[in-house]
Amino acid sequence: MSQALPTPAAAPPVDAEPVGRRSLRARFQGLLFIAPALVVLLLFLVYPAYYTIRLSFYQSDFLFKFTNWVGLDNFKHLLTNDPDFLDLSQFPPSGALVNNLRWVIFYISISLLFGLGFAVLAVRVRYERLVKSVIFVPMAISATAVGIIWLFVYSPDINQGVLNAVLHAFGHDPVSWLGRSDTVNYALIFAYIWASTGFVMVVLSAAIKGIPTEILEAARADGAGEWPIFWRIMVPMLSLPISIVTIWLFINVIKVFDIIYVMTGGGPGTSSRVIAFSMYYETFPNLRPGYGAAVAVIMLILVLPVMVVNVRRFRSERVVT
Amino acid sequence: MKQRSVLVALAVLALVAVVSAIAATASYGSRAKRSAGSIEVFSLWGGSEQDAFLKVTKAFTAKTGIDVKYTSGRDFTTDIGARLAAGNPPDVAIVPRPGYLASLARRGVLKPLSGMGITSTYMRARYGASWIGFGSVGGKLYGVPAKANSKSVIWYRPATFKKYKLKAPKTWNQLLALTKKLKSKGLTPWAVGDGPNQSQWVLTDWFESIYVRQAGPAKYQQLFTGKLKFTDASVVRALNTMTQVINNKYVLGGIQGMLGQSFVGGITDVFGKKPKAHLYYEGGFVGGIAIDQVNKSLKPGVSINDFTWPSITPKYGSPVTIGGDYAVAFKDNANVRTFLNYITSGAAGTIWVSTGAIISPNKLVPPRAYPNVLVRREGAQLAGAKTIRFDGSDQMPGAFGDTWGFALQKIAQNPSSSNIKKVLSGFQKQIAGQWGT
Repeated sequence: MSQALPTPAAAPPVDAEPVGRRSLRARFQGLLFIAPALVVLLLFLVYPAYYTIRLSFYQSDFLFKFTNWVGLDNFKHLLTNDPDFLDLSQFPPSGALVNNLRWVIFYISISLLFGLGFAVLAVRVRYERLVKSVIFVPMAISATAVGIIWLFVYSPDINQGVLNAVLHAFGHDPVSWLGRSDTVNYALIFAYIWASTGFVMVVLSAAIKGIPTEILEAARADGAGEWPIFWRIMVPMLSLPISIVTIWLFINVIKVFDIIYVMTGGGPGTSSRVIAFSMYYETFPNLRPGYGAAVAVIMLILVLPVMVVNVRRFRSERVVT
Repeated sequence: MKQRSVLVALAVLALVAVVSAIAATASYGSRAKRSAGSIEVFSLWGGSEQDAFLKVTKAFTAKTGIDVKYTSGRDFTTDIGARLAAGNPPDVAIVPRPGYLASLARRGVLKPLSGMGITSTYMRARYGASWIGFGSVGGKLYGVPAKANSKSVIWYRPATFKKYKLKAPKTWNQLLALTKKLKSKGLTPWAVGDGPNQSQWVLTDWFESIYVRQAGPAKYQQLFTGKLKFTDASVVRALNTMTQVINNKYVLGGIQGMLGQSFVGGITDVFGKKPKAHLYYEGGFVGGIAIDQVNKSLKPGVSINDFTWPSITPKYGSPVTIGGDYAVAFKDNANVRTFLNYITSGAAGTIWVSTGAIISPNKLVPPRAYPNVLVRREGAQLAGAKTIRFDGSDQMPGAFGDTWGFALQKIAQNPSSSNIKKVLSGFQKQIAGQWGT
């Protein structure tokens, strides 16, 4: 990160004891220390991942046994022959994968925008804590409850749905937000943004407080306006927390499931399915665990690069501090 | 160094804790045995259906001393699948789909009931041949009918009919005329709740009611057992008939409104305190839900009533489509046998139907056991029907019934002939290899 700090190569070796003379006992102790974590990791992470990947090459049935080897057929079918997963035959393309892309674009950018906006503005009002608590509250509500709340908000019944009541007050006909293929995805995305903006705000707000006030004061003394201060000083200094939050949002978006399960079940038709929902639907209701596992593997492949970036980042930070 | 050995000790302790916790979980399944005198029954019933069933199990426990642990999961294919994969299925499950029952039976996870004291003579004394047929796979009985519902009734508001001097239609054309007449009075004729999550089966029932009357019971049975393709012209014709009613003109809120409204919400649109539409189609259970959950001031036969689905092709008359749930056994022991024996008895059926929540297909249940005119008439419709067909989407393998429901939603949104063709051929491709699995 910062050039002024010594790089690890230049630093004197921390461990004065040469490796060769390390006793067997010390090595055994090391293994012992990581063993509990290793056992848990192997059992709950590595083994299920192996099982899923292997399952994706089989047809299998609801007993989840490795029966009927099909090779790469599941993947081929998913990517070329399953319009519910990916349909490139028409414009705009549709399917769960495309919906997830929609989620990535709108959910991440709007959550960040709102989160950052609230974080910057909340510092300036007298009732900062109150404002922040109110915005943070949805974060403490389970996704199921969030789904049910928003089912009410979007209800086409003007006596029940807040949104349509407002539209009605302005003389507009009620809109069935969750019943239209063209609005359902955005309606879901917005509900989820409502639930996660609070977290983004809290993280960024803490980071803003960490910006040394001298810098801001110096800029103001030099006559910089609030807008340039925000763009030229705050945003660059917040780049690390912003990127961490973005990764968090990205992982959130790839695995989003609960809110869709509660609110639309992937409908109307299959127009609001996302990858995780397809995985569930193929595995359980459709009784095709092999096919569902293939969806899971695709999901894993999508998340993997982000994970790698994340881990690298953590590593580089450890070196610096 | 001393500190280090403390840490080592802690690490060992943690390892032992983790390993023994895992070992304990692993051995739990094999070692733990249920105390004698209790069974677990799993079903997807909640609300009034669950209450009714618990009355039956209470009477069972009082009679036999065997406790019934009732577990309920709306997402039953997921729940049962996960428990089977884990080797820990419930003793008895009540499944709503013969297609799913057959899938389970073919995988060999169900116990054949003939070996459990439920003989064919015993069954014939209690149930009609079609009921027994849907509980059987490959000539062996795997499920006993638990409850039934007619899906061939249409619900209406008697007050509306009286005010505009309307009569219950006997034919599809009369139904269309009725729809147009309501529309011409400035009313919204139909409410349909096929909306967000888990209501997609409503459109499948619409399709089936039309198809069985238009194409006939024989073709119906072929279609829903994989012997006729979904791309058949008769399917397209039934869909075109369906969209004569299911369209933006006659349905509350249009197609989008329908897809945004839940099944129960749709009932509220017709039978709630402020009615917005005047006709509602779904099975006999609508009555119970409307009276118990939606609007307690409704009077059966007076402020809520139903008529038989009108016929379409005259020679096929008005066959009755039914939905029903079957009790199946994952384990065979004395308690399970006693339980299955009890729920197929006239006494159990009488308690069950007296709640007004269900109809019993059991011949030993007397008509007077039904508490009101709506359920009594539904019971009579089931008992007196010349032709009975089981809900088609429920006969599809696994949960293809849902997939079919999603396909119908896509068609309702865009009923152009090119889209109908596209959706049907897509669905046919999906289900083709799945029959008989």
